[in-house]
Amino acid sequence: MPTLDLINLRKQFGSVTNPVVAVNDLNINVADGEFLCILGPSGCGKSTALRMVAGFEEPSGGDVQIDQQSIINMPPNKRPTAMVFQKYTLWPHMKVYDNIAFGLKLRHLPKNQIDQEVQASLELVGLGRYGDRYPAQLSGGEQQRVAIARALVLKPKILLLDEPFSNLDALLRVRLREELRQIQRNLKITAVFVTHDQEEALSLADRIAVMSKGELQQLDKPATIYARPKTLFVADFIGAMNMLDGEVNGGVVKVGNQRLPSPAECVAAPAKIAIRPEDVIVTQTGEGAWHGRITQVSDLGHYRKVFVQSPDLGMLKLYLPKSIEINDGEMITFKPTRFLIFQGPLPPFEVKL
Amino acid sequence: MATRSRYLNTLFAGYALIAPPLIILVLLIFYPAGQAIVRTVMTDQEVGIAAGLTLDRYFNFFADPIARSNLWFTIWVTVVTTALLFLVCFPLSLYLRFSSSRIAGIVQVLALFPLFVPGVILAFALIRYLGPRGTVDTFLRIVFNYTGFVTPYLKPSGIIFALVWDHIPFTVLVLTAGLRQVEDSVIEAARDVGASGLRVFFQIVLPLIQRPLLIVFCLNMIGIFGSFTIPYLLGPAAPQMMGVYMQQTFTDYLDRSGAETQAVLSFLICSVIGALYVRTVTRRRGERA
Ligand SMILES: Nc1ncnc2c1ncn2[C@@H]1O[C@H](COP(=O)(O)OP(=O)(O)OP(=O)(O)O)[C@@H](O)[C@H]1O
Ligand SMILES: [Mg+2]
Repeated sequence: MPTLDLINLRKQFGSVTNPVVAVNDLNINVADGEFLCILGPSGCGKSTALRMVAGFEEPSGGDVQIDQQSIINMPPNKRPTAMVFQKYTLWPHMKVYDNIAFGLKLRHLPKNQIDQEVQASLELVGLGRYGDRYPAQLSGGEQQRVAIARALVLKPKILLLDEPFSNLDALLRVRLREELRQIQRNLKITAVFVTHDQEEALSLADRIAVMSKGELQQLDKPATIYARPKTLFVADFIGAMNMLDGEVNGGVVKVGNQRLPSPAECVAAPAKIAIRPEDVIVTQTGEGAWHGRITQVSDLGHYRKVFVQSPDLGMLKLYLPKSIEINDGEMITFKPTRFLIFQGPLPPFEVKL
Repeated sequence: MATRSRYLNTLFAGYALIAPPLIILVLLIFYPAGQAIVRTVMTDQEVGIAAGLTLDRYFNFFADPIARSNLWFTIWVTVVTTALLFLVCFPLSLYLRFSSSRIAGIVQVLALFPLFVPGVILAFALIRYLGPRGTVDTFLRIVFNYTGFVTPYLKPSGIIFALVWDHIPFTVLVLTAGLRQVEDSVIEAARDVGASGLRVFFQIVLPLIQRPLLIVFCLNMIGIFGSFTIPYLLGPAAPQMMGVYMQQTFTDYLDRSGAETQAVLSFLICSVIGALYVRTVTRRRGERA
């Protein structure tokens, strides 16, 4: 039932003469029970967007709606959202129990109900017997779990998380985010998760909103974002990508010294050609293929990461199956099986060979 | 063995480093102070009679109505000034901590300004400003033709006014430093779960700045209790604050043991507050780091 809509949301910091537009005309809709990730590089406005939903920043324009009701005029303590912060989230002078009970006490619930709900939420995050500890007696991961319990115990309509695990080590981060996802699925709560870690977003999200410089670049399922990035920025930012310069002319696009087919809709103009490292095969013939010298091979389990220095194209990164015998310093011939043609700000054309 | 001797070496180096100030402290402060305390409880040396213990000097002090009123007056000024300091400095510090406006910078400079003004200069400036025929008096007379201005000069309010002025910078410095230790996210998290501004202040901010709060409280109390220049220049002839009273007893009445008794009493009162201070700063944060 709870849905969240950001409508033309805008935030401007700084002075009138020297404005800093942190969030520009952002439109994001989050469906009921959806887990949405906002992903983007540092400084792109992710936190600012989330903080406008929570009520800690006042928008310069636009609207935030929960269940089609604007919440923009509500102070943060009145909003049906709960936020998990990146760090320093717990109140150091209160025990874990009191941290979680604080919001319930404000709602004047009876004591035994508070006890029950605090205990239930501690168990939800796997810290059933930690109620008596002070935050300083917990590890970083445990503190973030308590912060999640504290947010969930209030049964918010929308759960907001601003890089909640980014201060933890890699293994713990992976474990906690999977736990979080499980909890979110079980409770069917609507959640917005901010991260700058694409792997985190790709593995967690129902949909990802990719932002750059305050603007929404693409809002899609992870697989779509990866396979069909809408903008050059997304193509470059998500996953590994070889970006090559090309020139479209009459149904072909010239890349280096080779001609590749291009859709009829492409205009005759320079273009950017984006090729995923895995969308390349090694061939024998020189037909429609480039050649280059292998400069580095690393074994990554079920495939190899190979760097190729091509006289035409510069350095390329390829993921090749282990069945192919290749060695450092060898020359190889290779051609793409799939690529995207970007021209101007339009969505790219996909070409499969 | 090697680690042990290295340990002893660092230990020795540590003591060697703190030895000079420690020796000075003992020779110039603790030893004479101890002597003075002992003298106040000894009977006067008379020929043929051995010195004995006595509390007569203290009984005499409390029997003297002037001495009593001076002591009460000092305590009263100390409490009122400390209370006023909190009233003035708390809102100021909250503003400095939480405001992002540019005026905050100017306010901060103004609040810290008295730090760079010596007490004597402050006292004379206040006399010129608030005294009879001073700036304020003249201004009211000329602009509003108002002649009812009552100067605080030579009145308790004069002392309190100047002492508050004098202690604002230190109080604001410590309070803002304490408030800056409270992270934004700690406050926002409380707002987020539904706490109003007032509740955040009382249940989150106040408990978290307990320590700096107690520290300014103690240091202000001790500083104000023992102040001399400002009450000497701005205060009434009677009652007097202990600092002024001691000085008068010592140099005007040439009553050395009387002054010593007053000093020891003042010291005892301040050491109660001092103990609170020491407990505050040395308390292991224990369960909450
Ligand atoms: N209070 C503020 N005053 C002025 N500028 C701000 C303020 N808060 C954020 N900004 C600016 O707005 C832009 C977006 O900031 P934001 O914190 O939303 O980035 P972010 O995407 O969360 O980055 P990160 O991944 O580093 O947390 C930045 O350029 C930042 O400098
Ligand atoms: Mg951020």
